[in-house]
Amino acid sequence: MIHLFRVSKIYAPNYPALVDIHLEIEKGEFVFLSGPSGAGKTTLLKLLFRGEEATEGQIIVNGRNVTRLNGRGVARLRQEIGLVFQEFRLLPTMTVLDNVALAAEVVGTPVRESRKKAFNLLRELGLKDRHDAKPPALSGGEQQRVAIARALVNDPILVLADEPTGNLDAEMADETMRLFARIHDRGTTIVIATHDAGLLKRFSYRAVFLQRGRLLGDSKFAGEAAT
Amino acid sequence: MRLSRISFVFRRVLKSFRELLWTHILTSGTMAMTLFIFGGFLLIQQNLHGLLKGWGSQIQIFAYLENRLTAAEVEPLVNRLRGYPEVESVRFVSQGEAWENFKKSLGSQSGVLEGLSADILPASLEIALKAAYRNHDSLAGVAQRLRTEKDISEVEYPEEWMARFSLLVLGIQWAKWILGGFLFMATLLIVGNTVKLAILARREEIEIMQLVGAPAGLIKTPFVIEGMIQGLLGASLSLLFLWLLFLFLSSQLPFTLGVLTDRAQLRFLEPESLALLLFLGWAMGAVGSLLSLRRFLQRW
Ligand SMILES: Nc1ncnc2c1ncn2[C@@H]1O[C@H](COP(=O)(O)OP(=O)(O)OP(=O)(O)O)[C@@H](O)[C@H]1O
Ligand SMILES: [Mg+2]
Repeated sequence: MIHLFRVSKIYAPNYPALVDIHLEIEKGEFVFLSGPSGAGKTTLLKLLFRGEEATEGQIIVNGRNVTRLNGRGVARLRQEIGLVFQEFRLLPTMTVLDNVALAAEVVGTPVRESRKKAFNLLRELGLKDRHDAKPPALSGGEQQRVAIARALVNDPILVLADEPTGNLDAEMADETMRLFARIHDRGTTIVIATHDAGLLKRFSYRAVFLQRGRLLGDSKFAGEAAT
Repeated sequence: MRLSRISFVFRRVLKSFRELLWTHILTSGTMAMTLFIFGGFLLIQQNLHGLLKGWGSQIQIFAYLENRLTAAEVEPLVNRLRGYPEVESVRFVSQGEAWENFKKSLGSQSGVLEGLSADILPASLEIALKAAYRNHDSLAGVAQRLRTEKDISEVEYPEEWMARFSLLVLGIQWAKWILGGFLFMATLLIVGNTVKLAILARREEIEIMQLVGAPAGLIKTPFVIEGMIQGLLGASLSLLFLWLLFLFLSSQLPFTLGVLTDRAQLRFLEPESLALLLFLGWAMGAVGSLLSLRRFLQRW
């Protein structure tokens, strides 16, 4: 599903954000990207959906050579990926339903079908009664669920989430994680970047550790526990 | 493009016009101003051209004949002149006819002519040129050749006047493009700016669309269509104002200037010019949008 071969990302000279990363993630896996602030977690996620371009190395996602995609290829890659951001990134002037439906519409789903899909997802995530509200009127946890609904509306085979619990209290965070677990149970591959060590303890999925741009450990191979 | 795409683009354009109504109105207004000025020049140029043509049919070369000529001698001369490629018609005005005309032009004061003999005025030929030759150079050329005819004593034609008038028409033709050119550049910048505002107002939305995999065309098309609509609106507005201006002027001009003999001589823009103005508006809108999109979309 995801292959990184000797990937480096350098924003500023002498200060690499990622160095020589080698990583394989299989279809259906649930993986935490962890590490302290500035480790390069967000950067690694960005490389996967071509939010940034790798300085060196090869990246394959869903069988697509990400480093060689043109504009159209990038759009197609992103249609297969659901993205969840720490800051939610919902459009404040649109209703919750429209926020979710927009994502379906822009990839070619007819309006009515988009809205129906969005509504069903919102209902599934317990937001049925809030579908007509604007995001600013929602709590952090509710907004996060809307963002997750948007990520799921195009039936992605891969979900990338950057600090999805960063803005939530512990209870909401666990709730959200259980939601991801449910998505994972349907066979969706999930990669979550987090610096929350507690999360790694409570949910025992594969964890990959980054520090200062280097891959220092991988629970899948060494059994290194969270520190 | 699939139907769902078209409906999506359509709804976005509507939404943008609703949300940025005043920006759009101001931009359309600016485009209308530019096209109004350009169209005004077009209108003036067209009408002067029309006048020139109308007057052209009245433009004649007068060739005065030697007094000694008999009617039998005039005949071959007239025939020869009719053979000139530029010449449309030649009319012989006898001494008697010239005298009558002169008397008529004096009207009630013709009494002063009492006692004068009718042959003090020379006989003449009134020569009209074909439409294609009714310009200063052809007139001068024909006049030059007439002077070499031994039976013709003198040649007259409206020389200076023709030259100046042709120059004026030419000047307006050029001013239209030069001034128009500057205005178009300025307008393009303003249109580009509107699109920039529209893009910035939708920046978050565009980013989200890009992140969920919207094709670039779907993101750009609404902006280009917005530009085109603005352009067409601006052009229509300018046509409306030109029409009002035309109505106003055509009711005023004949009295103030006295050059016009008939109001019907004034014409509004020809269909081709109307189409040109609409096209220019449309194109300005499209080009302005595309330039702005190129500058501002690739940054993210
Ligand atoms: N656009 C950018 N331009 C320059 N440097 C950047 C940019 N984005 C990130 N960096 C740098 O790259 C390094 C890795 O940043 P990144 O955001 O990937 O870290 P992170 O692990 O996500 O941190 P956090 O846990 O705080 O989100 C940091 O040192 C950061 O300063
Ligand atoms: Mg980060």
